[in-house]
Amino acid sequence: MGVVHGQEMVLNIGPQHPATHGVLRLQVKTDGEVISEITPYLGYLHRCFEKHCENVSYEQVIPFTDRCDYLASMTMNFGYVVAMEQLMDIKVNDRVEYIRVIMAELQRIASHLLATGVFGLDLGAFTPFLHMLRDRERIIDLFEMTCGARLLYNYMWVGGLSHDLPKGFVEATLKFLDYFEPKIDEFENLLGHNKIFVERTADIGIMPAEVAINYGVTGPNLRASGVNWDLRKDNPYSVYSKLDFNVPIGKGIKGTVGDSWDRFYVRLQEIRESVKIVRQAIDQLPKDGDVHQSMPKKIRPPKGSIYSRTESPRGDLGYYIESDGSDTPYRLKMRSPAFTALGVLNEIAGGWLMSDVLAILGSLDIVLGEIDR
Amino acid sequence: MSEDLQALIDEAVKKALAGDDDAINGIQDRVTRSKAKAALVKAKREQSKAVDENSDSESIEEQPTTDNSEYIILKIAKILEDKFSGCIDGEVHSDFIQLKPEKWFEISKFLKEDPDTYFDSLQCNTGFDLGDGLLESRYNLHSMKHLHSIEIRIKVNIDNPDIPSVESVWRVADWFERETYDMFGINFTGHRDLRRILLPEDWDGWPLRKDYEEQETYHGIVVPKVKEGWE
Amino acid sequence: MTVDFIFEFLSGLLDGFISSNSLLIISMLVPCLAIFGFITVYALVVIYAELKVSSFIQDKVGPMGQGVGLHAGKWGLLQPIADALKLLLKEDIIPSSADKPLFILAPFMIFIGAFISFIAIPFGESIIVTDLNIGIFYILGVGSIAVLSLILAGWASNNKWSLYGGMRSAAQIVSYEIPAGLSLIVVIMLAGTLNMQDIIKYQAGGIFNWIIFDNPFVPIAFVVYFISAIAETNRTPFDLPESESELVAGFATEYSGMRYAFFFLSEYANMFVVSAVAAAGFLGGWHSPIQGFMDSPAWGVFWMINKTGFLIFVMIWLRWTLPRLRVDQLMNVCWKVFLPLALINIFGVAIWTVVFNS
Repeated sequence: MGVVHGQEMVLNIGPQHPATHGVLRLQVKTDGEVISEITPYLGYLHRCFEKHCENVSYEQVIPFTDRCDYLASMTMNFGYVVAMEQLMDIKVNDRVEYIRVIMAELQRIASHLLATGVFGLDLGAFTPFLHMLRDRERIIDLFEMTCGARLLYNYMWVGGLSHDLPKGFVEATLKFLDYFEPKIDEFENLLGHNKIFVERTADIGIMPAEVAINYGVTGPNLRASGVNWDLRKDNPYSVYSKLDFNVPIGKGIKGTVGDSWDRFYVRLQEIRESVKIVRQAIDQLPKDGDVHQSMPKKIRPPKGSIYSRTESPRGDLGYYIESDGSDTPYRLKMRSPAFTALGVLNEIAGGWLMSDVLAILGSLDIVLGEIDR
Repeated sequence: MSEDLQALIDEAVKKALAGDDDAINGIQDRVTRSKAKAALVKAKREQSKAVDENSDSESIEEQPTTDNSEYIILKIAKILEDKFSGCIDGEVHSDFIQLKPEKWFEISKFLKEDPDTYFDSLQCNTGFDLGDGLLESRYNLHSMKHLHSIEIRIKVNIDNPDIPSVESVWRVADWFERETYDMFGINFTGHRDLRRILLPEDWDGWPLRKDYEEQETYHGIVVPKVKEGWE
Repeated sequence: MTVDFIFEFLSGLLDGFISSNSLLIISMLVPCLAIFGFITVYALVVIYAELKVSSFIQDKVGPMGQGVGLHAGKWGLLQPIADALKLLLKEDIIPSSADKPLFILAPFMIFIGAFISFIAIPFGESIIVTDLNIGIFYILGVGSIAVLSLILAGWASNNKWSLYGGMRSAAQIVSYEIPAGLSLIVVIMLAGTLNMQDIIKYQAGGIFNWIIFDNPFVPIAFVVYFISAIAETNRTPFDLPESESELVAGFATEYSGMRYAFFFLSEYANMFVVSAVAAAGFLGGWHSPIQGFMDSPAWGVFWMINKTGFLIFVMIWLRWTLPRLRVDQLMNVCWKVFLPLALINIFGVAIWTVVFNS
């Protein structure tokens, strides 16, 4: 007896749906529980980032970058200021660089905690999500201590920082890391090695390396496919070349290389590496150095363009900035990593069951604010 | 420029050519540093020309890294000029390759598949309004194997903005080109699914063009105008 | 305290005042009201327990407050009442494209299914509404009404998510009733009766006389029954019909206010029913674990409620610990693991009984 094909039904997942992580509409064709084709519709959160940037001065762009990826604002700031400093040829002192790295890595921990937690939530595991949110809250407390804001920081400025580290920050961070390190093992045991979780994620949504590269997938999603590619190692910016850390890649421990479980596990391992980086950066942090030292009075980059990439928690964050010599950007384009990650969804998730499609979507860790900009 | 500064730059460039990057980055004064970098680029270009003259075919021996991107761009421009004669638009620049749109699809295939170039990853596609009735599409390519990257620019007229689509070469270009189409109205011929992506399907105009004007109303809703100053 | 007992008591008290037919109706209404009151109070308690247990598991404080007022009362005790009031006061929406009569009928049907199961549950040596001679069979039977109402709700809502929820629940509940029923056959075989009170009386005399410790096969039967029971009540990790992150709210997507509250209430009521059956069938019902220790009829209610409560606690515990299964994995577990296991159990118990107990 052959397989009986029923009539296909068109189903709209979203714009308001618990599993779409924001406002995303997936138009799917379903045959019973099997989803044969996924068409994402974007733009529900489009806030004209690039158009806005053409009308504000260079320093006023930074708060807009915060609002793109609201879960990793620090790294968004970081990417922009690195691009601007390359364009303007500014060399900032080491204290600024180390503080930036500390912030970016703490932000990476916070972002990955949320990503893995929400992934668990998509599969119905509520408790790990809240445990991870609890620890993310402590990182946000550290950020609040530094710059007063808890979500949108506007902390890194072109050529410097908005504030120096407050008194007691280093101690508070070390205390947090001491508390946090054993918790990572707890998360791994609670979620990663849970039998049901493994059943739901291993061998699901396999993304081979060639597909990942061809679709421009970057960051943890690419590394989970077994490609050793991390801009912090392969194209070091800031002071990453002076820090010692590993790049975790997917090994297919529970299933095939590049499955959803690998994407989860790579993120968890990256949290460990980030903890290592923060510790080293705190060790090497220079005692003196003015964070406003190399900030230009007026930001007016020379004519020219730059495409600069940094490693955000979601992947290669690119800024293409064209300057015409005035104090507003002529054109500013953000290459958002989550945008390309969502683009691969139809390729790797078509043909799976509905529950799997939402699990795969969760494992890609998308942020709609960054996709729609 | 005073003579001691010039001497400083010459010395730094010499060191940088020998592989010591900190020599230039260590210069405190910004202006001097940028001048030194420019001098370094010039020196490298001359060096590569010399290499080209010395050995006709085997100029690829040198291990390419992202540091000598100017060298790679010149090298690839030369390869393209040999392979697809007349594809380069205008003169050869040191930090990007300006191509004519006609053969872009074949060139992109070549760039992706040729073992010497092997640009397997399209990093970014940026639409651009140059003013004077010209639109541009810029592609940042990167090779995961050779770890080198180039920028390719393709200029088209605003009245007839057709550029061949590379969506079937790099799948990531699918959404990138849709976004560029959405914002600039560049028509990527051969794209299988060229729709607006971020804006609604029935939106009027191309918002990131410099001459864009907001529509008066959208579905009966008055579109707010840009306010002059703060109220 | 059966209906017959109430009838006789009332006819002795009100002899000659009311006709015997009216008396019969009154004596049937009394336990109905009592059960309804019990379900309401129990639901409030278990909602509070769910909030507090989940808070404890998730490292948060849960509902808290300082005294009566706008807060949730001391230790958040008023939180379930506030929740119930909120549900009652919410706007009752019926989608314009819904099948109106069926849409209205569904929540009542599911509640009826849970409600009428209660009449065969023994709360104590003499506290049972009707001591049916096929009690356990009756509970299994009327428990299936839930499937009908879930399919009704899913179909009548005229919403694709609801339809998915309804389809999933139909497949899931029908499948899991089989291993649950087969596991209870073990109990029936050992006790030799379908009567709930007789099954409990069979287990008199301390913890080692409970059916679960009767022979090595019964604990397996207990686990199979308990997991199947969780699946029947649509709780995590088997909450596919209403899986929040996939189907929005499954069959209950279009329901709001009072009607949603009925789904909610009957889920908790069903939890009590299946736990009570497990407690009565495997854990000695209203018997004390130690013979002669707190083993009077009054203490019987205490033991029964506590054993049931413990099983409900385990359900809550599992819910906040485990992720959700996928629909095909759910079916695999049922048909490929539980069904063979339940069948083997029946043979095992039969052989064991013949060899060792005769």
